[in-house]
Parts: sequence; structure tokens; C-alpha cells
Amino acid sequence: MLAKYILRRVLASIPTFFGVTLVSYFLIWVTAGDIVPGVEINPYIKKEDIDRIRHNLGLDQPFWIQYLNWLGLPNLAAQLHLISGDWPKGILEGEFGRSLIDGSPVITHILDRLPNTLELTITAILLGVLIAIPLGVAGALRRGSKIDHALTALSVAGVAVPSFWLALMLILLFSVQFEQWHLPWLPSGGAYSAYQGGDFLDRVLHLIMPAIVLSFGYLAIWSRFGRSSMLEVLSQDYVRTARAKGMSERRVVYLHALRNALIPLVTLVGLELPSLVSGGAVVEIVFGWPGIGRFALDRAFGHDYTAVMGIVTFAALLVIAGNLLADILYAFLDPRIRYT
Amino acid sequence: MIDPNAVDVALPRKEYEGEAARPAQSYWNESWERLRSNPVGMGAGVVVLLMVAIALAAPLLSTYVTHHNPYSIDLSATFSMPSKAHWLGSDEAGRDTLTRLIYGAQVTLTVAFLAVAVSLVVGGTVGLVAGFYGGLVDNVLMRFVDVLLSIPAIYLLILLTILQPKIGPIVLSTSDPRSLAVIIAVVGWGGLSRLVRGEVLSVKNRDFMLAARSIGASDLRLISRHLLPNVLAVMIVAASLNVGAVIITESILDFIGLGIQPPTASWGNMLTNAQTYFYHSIWLVLLPGALIFITVLAMNVFGNALRDAFDPRLK
Repeated sequence: MLAKYILRRVLASIPTFFGVTLVSYFLIWVTAGDIVPGVEINPYIKKEDIDRIRHNLGLDQPFWIQYLNWLGLPNLAAQLHLISGDWPKGILEGEFGRSLIDGSPVITHILDRLPNTLELTITAILLGVLIAIPLGVAGALRRGSKIDHALTALSVAGVAVPSFWLALMLILLFSVQFEQWHLPWLPSGGAYSAYQGGDFLDRVLHLIMPAIVLSFGYLAIWSRFGRSSMLEVLSQDYVRTARAKGMSERRVVYLHALRNALIPLVTLVGLELPSLVSGGAVVEIVFGWPGIGRFALDRAFGHDYTAVMGIVTFAALLVIAGNLLADILYAFLDPRIRYT
Repeated sequence: MIDPNAVDVALPRKEYEGEAARPAQSYWNESWERLRSNPVGMGAGVVVLLMVAIALAAPLLSTYVTHHNPYSIDLSATFSMPSKAHWLGSDEAGRDTLTRLIYGAQVTLTVAFLAVAVSLVVGGTVGLVAGFYGGLVDNVLMRFVDVLLSIPAIYLLILLTILQPKIGPIVLSTSDPRSLAVIIAVVGWGGLSRLVRGEVLSVKNRDFMLAARSIGASDLRLISRHLLPNVLAVMIVAASLNVGAVIITESILDFIGLGIQPPTASWGNMLTNAQTYFYHSIWLVLLPGALIFITVLAMNVFGNALRDAFDPRLK
């Protein structure tokens, strides 16, 4: 039953993936389809040379050929000896296009920066979960108390704070003011010191502020959700039964209630799986964190359309995979869910 | 929820009014009563209205109150401290901060409300049509929404803002708040259409729909007169909660240099060079961010109050 459900979900996500590639390729094609940035406006390049560059990049071909080439379908077919000829490698073989700036496969750039991005997002999610659950439980157990109200206010405010401004505020306090006050200050940008940096302590110091900013957004949502989930579970019959059996309040709360309250929270955290790659983009940009988001922005400013498109596709692919994983995880954790 | 039109058809209202113990209250009236009795929500609403009023009165305020033009450069008074001439100081080009904040409110709120309006129209229409017709139409539209929601919004926004797509003669250039609003709406309508579709599915098989259909109402009439009023409350709540999210999105785009371009002031792009102000003009960092925070907070609190007013069960 579960296997069938998983198979069906996997099959259903394949058209979505092709839809994503089609949409992003179409967007580029329709707006900048035959443009070679920087070449067309250069008065020293002859018309023939521009045409030759466009031909070499395959930009003179019709949309469908360009799209299929970008996917890498003709090359796959050629390798299976279905058609002949020399075709470029494409997404289906893990190429994700070639950068217009340096001609290298976009995937190599992505893989270069992926570890940094994951370091940031995984830390932030862990931090968010580890702090949100106790806060949520505390709010639910002392419902209506001052602590509860304070936590609610904090989470409402937390959603409204723009993350980049929070980042600026932290930099202002922990980097600028701490230095002026002759306190040990935190580095304001990057993932490690360029000079004599890169050891564990150095990386942790660089990680603190970006991780806090990123986890703050998660914290605001998850603690609130954890609270309501806990409240709902505490009113269930099995909790009353556990109390009626004379179980200590601690055991009731932590053994019976909390474990059940965590199930919906797991889905919520699972829904963040897709954002492992893209969720930290804004924070990466503010802190100059050498991850995928920062890279995408740099290449966007450099008009490296193919690189941005490769990143968009890669990120979308991971979103689809993440959603799939979250669905399966949920079905696995909660057998009450019907596999339909 | 009660459909006023269906009641119209089934029961002539005239005969009922005299017999009721208290005057019949419409759903909207009742919701308004509930909203009015929520002081926090009303307070937040007042803050939002105040911001809108300031934004609308920007030219008046700059002429009669601050006496500065948001673009006039004064290189003899750069980074001046708050003073009588510049109430909230001036920036690196000697422009008056308060005036620029007021004009920034105009830009930010234009983008936010316009983007939400466009995504309401697009997402609402798609959701209504997909939910009402079901079958193939529903499948095609919702798969498209799946595709749209699979692409991380921030990357799609980066892509669209650098490409500046042309739709016929209209160029979606980000130097114009209206274009930026359309770009944000194009990226953001997906979630709303899913929400509306879900709501339509729960309403469309109710008896009043069958009644209206059986007296020969056309599809267009069924959707616009019977379905829409029933999903409107959900749409309004979602929209009001969306405004805050759009304000944050817009300020992020402005901040990283992809949105509204200087010299036009917006709360986001006033923070672009914030890191260079740290040592001498902290208020230039504090003020725009604080305004974004207050506006988004007020909008969210008001949205929550609206939700509680429309559907007290959710509280």
C-alpha cells in the first residue's frame, strides 16, 4: 500500500518537473531568447561574428529544438543510437546548462556552493526546531499566562520582521558596536575568513548570525504551531485516560502528549525540506554567504541568464523532491492517513 | 455561510422581515460587529489607514510640513543629524530622510496593494473556474499552479526582474512600481488559487447551488453571484494577510537592487547602502526597517482580526 502510494506520488511529480523546465526555458526564450549579453552592443564586433556566436550557442534554432537540447533529449537519443549526430549535453544528464560568462557547466558552480548553503539552512532548521518545541510546550502548558502572551506577541512580531533588516540590526550590534565597545565581535559576512581562516571555530563564528536570522523566521511559525498542536492533544481522550490512571503530569505531558503533538510539527518541518536549498537566499545575500542564493544574484547582475536558469531548475527539482519526501514521511509517521 | 441570493430566490424576504425578533443581520454586518469589538484588530486597522493616508498625502506633506523635495540633493548637508531643517536627518546626498520615508510609503503601499489586487483577480478567477468545472480544466490549471509553486519564489523574482519581460507594448521594468507589482503578483497568485479552489469545492455541492442551477442560472451567474460571495470572505482574509508578505518581498527586492531603482525612494532601497551608515548615521538604518516592521505587523494583526471576525470558529 505504502509502496504503491510512493510510486504514484513519484510518477505524478514527473510532469511537474517538465512543466518547470518548460516554463523557465520559455520565460528566458521569450524575453532574451537570442541575446548574447555584451556582444550585441559592442561596436567592434562585426555582424557576421555575432551571427557566428549565436550559431555556436545554438540561439538561431527554433524554440523547441533549443528546449530539447537544453534538456539533453537529443543527446540521450544519440547515445542510444536512435538518432545520429552531435548533440549538446543537457539537464537530464546533470548538466543544467552552460554559463554564458565562463562556459562551464552550471552544475559545477552549484555543487561548489551547495555545501555552504546546506550548512546554513540545516543549522537554522535544527536551531528552529530545538527552540520552537520547548517554547510551544511552555505556551500550551501555561495557556493564558504572561509567558504565553509574551510568546504569542513574539511570534506575531517575528513574522513581521524583514529578515534582511534583522540581519542588518544584528551586524550593527554584534559586529560594529561590539568592536567599538572592545568586546569580542562576530564577523559580519562570508562563511570563513579569507586570511588564515577556514578552521572549525572560524566557520562557527561566521555561521552564528546568519543561522540566527534564518531560524528566527522558522521559530516564529513553528512555536505557534507547536503550541496549538500541543493544546489540541492535551484535550484528547487518551491524555485524560493517562491522567486518570494516576500517571504523573510529567509523564503525561512528555510521554503521551508531546509525542503525538510532534506529528503535525514533523510535516511542517518536512515542508521546509524544499527550502534547504533556496530558503536562505536572502540571508545569504545580506551576509555575503558563498551559497547558491548569493551565486544566483551575482550571475543575475552579470546577465548570465543560462546560469540563473540552471539554478532555478535545480532549485525547483529539489522543491519537487522535497515535497515528495515530506508526503512520504508524513504517510510513514501517521498510519491514520489514507493513501489516496 | 448563508447565500443572500439563494435566499432571495427561495424565500421572498419581504414576508420575513416583520416577524423576526430582531432585524435580520447579514453575514457581513455580523462580521463587522465582531471586528468592531476587537480593539487590537481595530487599532491595527487604524495604523494601516494612517499609513495609507500618509502615502496619499505625500505631495502635501512634503510641501507644507517637511518643506523638502525627496529628490533635491544638498551636498553641503550630507548625513546631517536630526535638526530643525531635517527632522529625521539627511542621507548621503543630503536628501531629507522624512520626506523620502513618506514617498517611500507611497511606493511600497502602491506595490503591495496593487500586487495583492492583481493576484486576487488572477488567483481568484483560476480558483473559481478550476473548482467549479472540475475534471480536465481543474487538472490542467492546478498542475500549472503546482509548477508555479515548485519554483522558489525568490529565484523566479530574480529571473523576472533581470529579464524585464515584455507583454506586447508593456515592458515590466522594475523602475516602475506598477510593473514590480505585476511581477510580484505573477509569481504569487498560485497559493491563493489553491485556497479559493478548496473553498469552492466545499461550497459547490450545497443545496443553494442546486437550487440556483435548477431554475436555469448560467455558469457565469452561478460563479459570480453564488460562488463568489461565499468564497469572498476567505479571499479577503488571505489578501489582507498577503499584503504584509508582499511588503516584505518588495522591500527585499528593493534592498538587493532588483526592485524600485534610486533615486525613487522606497523603504527597501533606502536600506541598500545601510552597511555604510553604521558608523555615523544609524537612524538611516533604523527608520525604514522600523516602518516596514510596523506596517507589516499592523497588516498581519488586522488580517488575523478579519479572519476571526469572518469565521469565529477558527479562533
